[in-house]
Formats: sequence, C-alpha cells, structure tokens
Amino acid sequence: MAGFSRIYFFASVIAVVVACSACEPPRPYRLPVPPSNNPVLRTPPPAPPPPPAPPPEPPRKPLPLEGTIREQDLQDKPLPPRGAAKETKESASLPSTSEGRAASDLTPLPDDSSLLAKITPGVTPQRAASLRLTEEGKKLLDAGDPVKALARLEKTIVIDSTNPYGYFYLAKAQYRLGRYRESLNFLDIAESRLGNEPFWIAEIHALRGDNYRALGQLQRAEGSYQQAVRLNSGNRTAADGLLRLQNDSSTAGK
Amino acid sequence: MTQSKLRFFSISLVVLLVVISTGLVFGAWYLKQLENTVTEKFEGKKWVFPSKVYSDSYLLYVGAPLRFESLLEKLRRLGYYETAGEPRTKGEYRISRSAGTIEIYLHDFDYPTEQFKGGPVRLSLQGNSLSRIENPATGQEMYSLELEPELVTGLYERIWQERRLVRLADVPPLLVKAILAVEDERFYRHHGIDPVGIMRAMWVNLRTMSYQQGGSTLTQQLIKNFFLSDERTISRKIPEAVMALIAERKYSKDTILENYLNEIYLGQRGSQGIFGVWEAAQFYFGKPLSDLTPGECALLAGLIRAPNRLSPYRSYEAATRRRNVVLAKLLDDQIITRNQYDVALREKLPQRALVKVSNDAPFYVDYLRRELEENYSNAVLTKEGLRIFSSLDLQLQKIAERALVEGLNKLEAAHPALRKGDDSVEGAIVVLRPQTGEIKAMVGGRSYAKSQFNRVFQAKRQPGSVFKPFVYLAALMYGGQSGIKYTPDTIVNDSQFTWTYDGRDWQPSNYRNEYFGAVTFRRALENSLNSATSRVAQDVGIRRVRDVAHRLGIQSSLPAVPSLALGAAEVTPLEVAVAYSTLANGGVRPRPLAVRNVIDQNTKVLEKRDVRSEQVISPQLAFMMNDLLKGVLDRGTGAMARRWGFTRPAAGKTGTTNDYKDAWFVGYTPDLLAVVWVGFDGPSKLNLSGAEAALPIWTEFMKSATANMPVTDFPPPAPMPANEDNPSSCPPGQEGLLAPCPPAAVPARASSEPL
Repeated sequence: MAGFSRIYFFASVIAVVVACSACEPPRPYRLPVPPSNNPVLRTPPPAPPPPPAPPPEPPRKPLPLEGTIREQDLQDKPLPPRGAAKETKESASLPSTSEGRAASDLTPLPDDSSLLAKITPGVTPQRAASLRLTEEGKKLLDAGDPVKALARLEKTIVIDSTNPYGYFYLAKAQYRLGRYRESLNFLDIAESRLGNEPFWIAEIHALRGDNYRALGQLQRAEGSYQQAVRLNSGNRTAADGLLRLQNDSSTAGK
Repeated sequence: MTQSKLRFFSISLVVLLVVISTGLVFGAWYLKQLENTVTEKFEGKKWVFPSKVYSDSYLLYVGAPLRFESLLEKLRRLGYYETAGEPRTKGEYRISRSAGTIEIYLHDFDYPTEQFKGGPVRLSLQGNSLSRIENPATGQEMYSLELEPELVTGLYERIWQERRLVRLADVPPLLVKAILAVEDERFYRHHGIDPVGIMRAMWVNLRTMSYQQGGSTLTQQLIKNFFLSDERTISRKIPEAVMALIAERKYSKDTILENYLNEIYLGQRGSQGIFGVWEAAQFYFGKPLSDLTPGECALLAGLIRAPNRLSPYRSYEAATRRRNVVLAKLLDDQIITRNQYDVALREKLPQRALVKVSNDAPFYVDYLRRELEENYSNAVLTKEGLRIFSSLDLQLQKIAERALVEGLNKLEAAHPALRKGDDSVEGAIVVLRPQTGEIKAMVGGRSYAKSQFNRVFQAKRQPGSVFKPFVYLAALMYGGQSGIKYTPDTIVNDSQFTWTYDGRDWQPSNYRNEYFGAVTFRRALENSLNSATSRVAQDVGIRRVRDVAHRLGIQSSLPAVPSLALGAAEVTPLEVAVAYSTLANGGVRPRPLAVRNVIDQNTKVLEKRDVRSEQVISPQLAFMMNDLLKGVLDRGTGAMARRWGFTRPAAGKTGTTNDYKDAWFVGYTPDLLAVVWVGFDGPSKLNLSGAEAALPIWTEFMKSATANMPVTDFPPPAPMPANEDNPSSCPPGQEGLLAPCPPAAVPARASSEPL
C-alpha cells in the first residue's frame, strides 16, 4: 500500500513538472524586441524563436462595394493563410534596414493606453465625453464586435473632431473589418491630430504596418513596424508584425 | 295538340336544362375564381409595408449645452408625453424646473447594430448645460445618452399602412375575447356567415328604424377589407358572403382570426394609417400587447366600429362611453370579474398631443430616395418595410427651411424688383457636419409644393468668388511659378491686367471697378479682389488651382481657363459644401453621407455607409486657410454677419458671379457648415451680391443652429514632428501637402493605388 502511494506521489510530481515546463510564462504586454539594426528580414537568425501567435486578422479578399455591403461582409473574418501575401518575391528580397540607434535607447515607453486616465479636470466636456465613448468603442473592439464599435466610434469624432484616439480606434475598427485603405486614411488623420505622444505615434505606425501587411505591401509594413519600434520598443503589435514578416520571409525562402 | 304541347314542353325542358347547366358551369367557374382569389390572398403576400425614413439619433453628454425648451420639443416630436407623477411607463417624462431636472422613461428602439431597451433616466441641467445623467432608480451616473431617431416619413404608394404583424398566440386572450364579444360573438359557431346574427341585426335595425348593427361576421369583415370596397350593396354583399364561406372551408378559425387582428384599421396619425392590434397598442398606449390592461383591451375592441370618431385623441367622452359599453358586455358575458370591471372603469384614457408624422424634409427625402434607388427598386422601397437611417437632423432642417423662406421673403420685400412674375427668386441651403460629412439638412428650394427641383444637388451654378479660396490654397501649397512662396502677408498687386491664355486675352475686373494696388494676400482674399486673385492664379498656374479644387471635393469638370479662378465653372452647392468641409475639418475630406444604414424587416443590415475621410491637405494648410477665411467674416465681405449677431469663431466666403445671377455664402464653424445659394432658375439677374442676398440667410440659420452647440475655435494643428531618421521625401514644392510626408525609405502611397 505504501509502495503504491509512493508511486502515486512520484507520478504526481512528474506530472506537475511536465505541466509546468509545457506552459510558457505569460507574455508581457510589451514584448522586448531585438534592436532594429538586426537585419530581421533579410537574414533569418540561425535558431529563430517560435513565432508568436498572430493576432486575429481579416482575410485579404476584395472589399465589397460600399453600396452593396451586406451583413455577412460585416462579420468577423477568419484568419488569413500565413504567407498569403502577393509579394512573396518582394519579401524575399526585402532590403536590410539600418536604424543606427543604440540598443540602450530602445526602452519601452510607459503604457499610455488608458483613455479614461486622460480625463483630467482641465479637459473640456466634449473631449471627456468623446474619450469615454472611445473607451467604449475600444472595449467593443476587444470583444470582437467591430461593427458596433464603429457606430460608437463615429460618435466620438462628432463630439470632438480633435480627439486623435477616436480616429485611431476608427482605423482599428476599419482594419478589423478588412477595409485597409480606410484604416490608413484614419491613421493619417489620427497622426495629424496627435501632439508629442510617442506611445500613440508608435501605435499608429504599428497599425499602419498591419494594414500594409494585410495589403501585401511588405516593404512598407516593415518600414512602419520599424518606426513603431524605434519610438517604443515595447510596442507588441509592431514586434509581432516584424516577427510575422520574418516568418513569412523564411517560409517564402524555403 | 298534345304532341305540340309535348314538343313545347320538351324544348322548354331542354332550354331549361341548358340554362341550368350553363348556370351551374358558370357558377362553378365563378366559385373557382373566388376560391382562387381567396387562396391567393391568404397564402400570398397579404400586406405591403412602406419603408420608413429615420433621422439621426440625438446624443446627449455630460457638459453638453442644452436648453429645457429644445429638449422638450425634441421629446414631444419623439412621442414622449408629460406626466405629473414619476414616469413609470415608456414614453413618459416629468419636468421639475425648480430642481432643474427632467426625468424620462425612454422608449425601446431597434438601432441597426443593437437593440436599446428603454428605462428611466434623470437629466440635471445647470444653466444651459447638462450637468448630470443618472438612473433615478439606482442613482448610477451615466456619461452619455442617445435619444432615438425620429420617424421622418414613409415611402409608400397611395396610402401609408403602418402595421406590424403579430401571431395570435402573442395577442392577450382578453383582447381577443373583447373583440369577438363586440364584433362577432358567434365566431366559433358559424361557418363564415351567421344567419342568427343577420336576423338579430335586422330586428334591431327595424325596431329602431336606423342602422344600429351589422350582421357581418368577422370573416366577412376580413374579406371585405382584403378585397372589396366599403359600399353596402347586394352586389358586394353576395361575393363577400361566398368568399367568407370559402375562407372558412379552407382555413382554420385561428388563421382567420389572426389575419383579422393584423388587418383591422384602428386609427390615423397624419398620413399614417394605424392597422392591426400591435400598431394600435403602440399608437394609443405606447406599450406592447402583453402589457394591455382590461380597460385598454376594451378601448381597442370598441374602436373597431369607428376608429376616428371613437378615438380618445378626438373625443375623450365618446371613447370613454364606447369603452364602458364594451366593458359592460365583457362583464355580462363573464369574461371579466366585477372587480376587474370596476378597476377598468376608473382607468384614464390616453390623452396626449398627437404627434403627426408629416414629411418635414421633402427635399432631403428626395435626395435619399435618389441614392437608394441605385440599389433598390421602387417596389422594394414601398412594399418591403425597410428602415432607412439617415444623417438628417430635423431640428436643423426646420431652422434651415425657415431661414431660407423668411430670408427670401425679406429679400423680395427689400428689393421689389426681384418679383418677376413666374420666375420667382429661389434659394437652396445645405448643411454638413464637416467631421463626418453627414448631411444634416437640405432645402432644395423655396417651396416643395411648387417645385421639387432640388437646387442643392441638381442645379449647377457658377460659384463666383466662392471659388477663390482654392486659388489661395493652391498658392500657399505650391508657391508661384515666379518663385514666390506665398504667405498671408505676401504683397500682391491689385490692379488691372490682361491674362493672355491660349492666344486669347482675358481681363478680370473688380467689383465696382475699384482697384487697391499693393495689398496683402490676406486682404485680397478677405475683400475678394478679382484682379489680385487672378494674378495669384496666373502665377500659381490654373491647372494647379483646378487640381486643388478637385482634391478638396469638387467633382464637376472644371476647365483650366483663367476665368476658373473667379468661379466661372459650374458646380452644385453640395460639391461646394464638401470642398469647404475639407478646410473646416483640418484638411480631411469627408464623403457626403445622407443614407447611413438600411435594414430589412428582420433587422438584417442590408447596407451600411460608414464615415470615410481622407487627409488631402495638411492640417497646417487647412488651419491657415481657416484663419484667412475667418478674416472674411471678421473684416471682409462677410463682416455684416458679426453685426447681425453671429459672434462665434467661424470662417466663410461670399460669392457673386460676374453676371449677378448667383449669390452665395459658404460659412462654417469647426462643427457645422452651411452653404446658401440664391438666384433665379431662369435667366433673370439677381443684381445682388452674396453678402446682400445669401449672407443674411446664412447668418439667421447659423445663429439658431449653433445656439445649442459648444463654442469651439479651429484647433491649431499638432506640430510636424522633426525626425532626423525620417527625412522627408516630399517632392520639391509639396512639403506639407499631405501630412506627414512619407519617409524616404518608404515610397509615398498613391491615392489611386489598388487594394
């Protein structure tokens, strides 16, 4: 009986150890990325780390004409196939990038993503209401409902057309709906309305990179991701994007 | 003799047989026809459902400017009604002016993307702003609130039947019993016609020597409503009875009853007929069928006989009497208890101001319809019950219409020469929200009844000086071919000159032939100096001016000729509105939006048009142009607007064509833009400037329209970030054209690039 319990005990210990080793530690919000002077795309590192799971992304399919958009066009789209970009040749011959910045400069910026934190006593009622609605839109996007989010976010710019975050999340909603050009347009507007906010400018570049990647314009995607990483090395979207580009390029190389 | 008699008899018999058999054949054929008709109706599409057009919703938020009066007007238009006590049912509100609060029990509303469940809210006002929104039951604070869109009109043919289908199982049994008790108490015992009922009705009518009762069964009433007219003739009664018998033979009692409950006419709201019990419960009580009280069931059942005469909205007394008769009948038949009867007698009938749906925005609806007809046939629009959500703001629409009509009347009074018989002076006004491109209001002419020609988008007119800002923008953007880099302080020459173009001479002349010599760029625009503007255009190049106009949103073809600089090409007021919206919106061109969503009867989204915007000029340039155009209102040709009391930060431009046929004013705050055009449809001349004819209308409109908006100024653009690592690759002379210029490493994104 005692021998039986001992076997049980050892089996449990082994099971726990195996389970723990199988679990990766939770990924931090900002994934540190290698310095950007690393030729990420041209020369894959000898032992590439496993690519992180790509975020949900709509497929690359022709957009429905505006006048004929139907509900099914508004549903969330399944993941596109990896490496489905049209420019596989281009991705194989992407130029190396030379950023010329010291690795010590590339520290993650503090998280400035909370919009409610921006509602301070000096903020106008319009901006406060607009920020609250933007936060609601953001939550709807996080919940996977870009259609509802879009309706909410459009109100944010009605109340306060100078709210750059409203435009940013409008761009994100359009991206989720697979309307990449619209998304890029809104990013331009968001950028033009932002002050000196490197965290948010990095977010804009990163989303721009996602749009370019979805459009199959890998060179531009890489440029945008690099800009994002230079501004905020903790920008996970850009880091993920660069890794995915790297993965795409190595897949194409094979 | 006997033989001849026999022969006569035989022939008669044959003839009789022929007649009888022909009659039988014809009768059988006729019966078959009637049966086919009944079957077709019962099994086919029984009703048509007009599409309904809705305005935009109304967003309230803490800190928003808000006045009691405008909120109450809005609530009344939405069909809310005031109560003395605490609002307990949907559609009620209570005001407490001393406490500065208004409590509302909100309606439910099916938005295109979500369903809103109404509930109680309390709004607190401090001065003229909304200070708090909360749920009075829980005290939970809310930060924003959306009041549902208003019903603008229906799209229908001939008559507007408002109806929502309901299943028999969803109708309260008491309502069904009440209807049967007063309309056809032997419904479950007859086969379509009721001889007992007919005899009783005849007896009652004979006894009173007047028409008191009808003997029609509920099935006959349904057949009559489906197929036949209201006339009481034998020729109508016979097919009605036959068809009722056919219907009863082919369909169950419940099917007939369900059809009846959805078919009956129960009232009128303006041009909208209320059909079926679901719609009637909404119309009279603002509640779903399941919430009806015995008294309300009795009222509805009693209304069937004469919905308008017995309507509580028309005669409280007549409606009460009729309801009490029905309640007494229900008590006699032991359908309700004595206690229910007593309670029901004490119930108060609905008594509220009737919100009549009348199309207050006919020009706007025409524009919507034209856009919709690209995707939907007229039959679909008038019969399929689509719900069309628009950008329209009915409050702004009314203000715009009033400003235009009153403004033109005043103009005629001040200038009697404008009264030219049939060719009366006309006008148009279109209002956009620059941030989104939403068309908030549109008045295409002075009187829709007289002329449905919508001058906002159907009339192409010369814009005159309204075009000039495109010249100045092109100059700031590109500089001159002479090498001059234009700034607002650049000195330009305002003197007579000749522009030779393609071997031809063109000589612009100033208003009243006054020339000012050396003037600043800013003053040349503020005072709309033709000669100085033409010199700038010549230096910049007319093609670049044309390109800038297109870039901002002018879609009409523009000839690259010198006179273009002074607005000689023809454009619509709507195009002008879009182009100026681009300036108001910091260089972001919106696309004009009237239709927002189209959903079908099953709330499936058929079409969704989102806000689409594109940064087409840099925010810095847009800001500079706005600053220049503010000067037009503060010091230049639009300065009268300030004297007339419009004081908030705004930019604008007057427009007068050389031949004095068209007068314009385009003006905007950061949040609202309006274009006003005044002129004749025919060849007559107005002989008035934009400042004289269009500016007063614009000013009146903007004063009222912006009264409830926060005062905002054009925000200075964010500084262009200097980035050593990211050298600009803008083509020479185009720095700042698009913001920011793309980095050298990444080629610029061409706008025509395919996805």
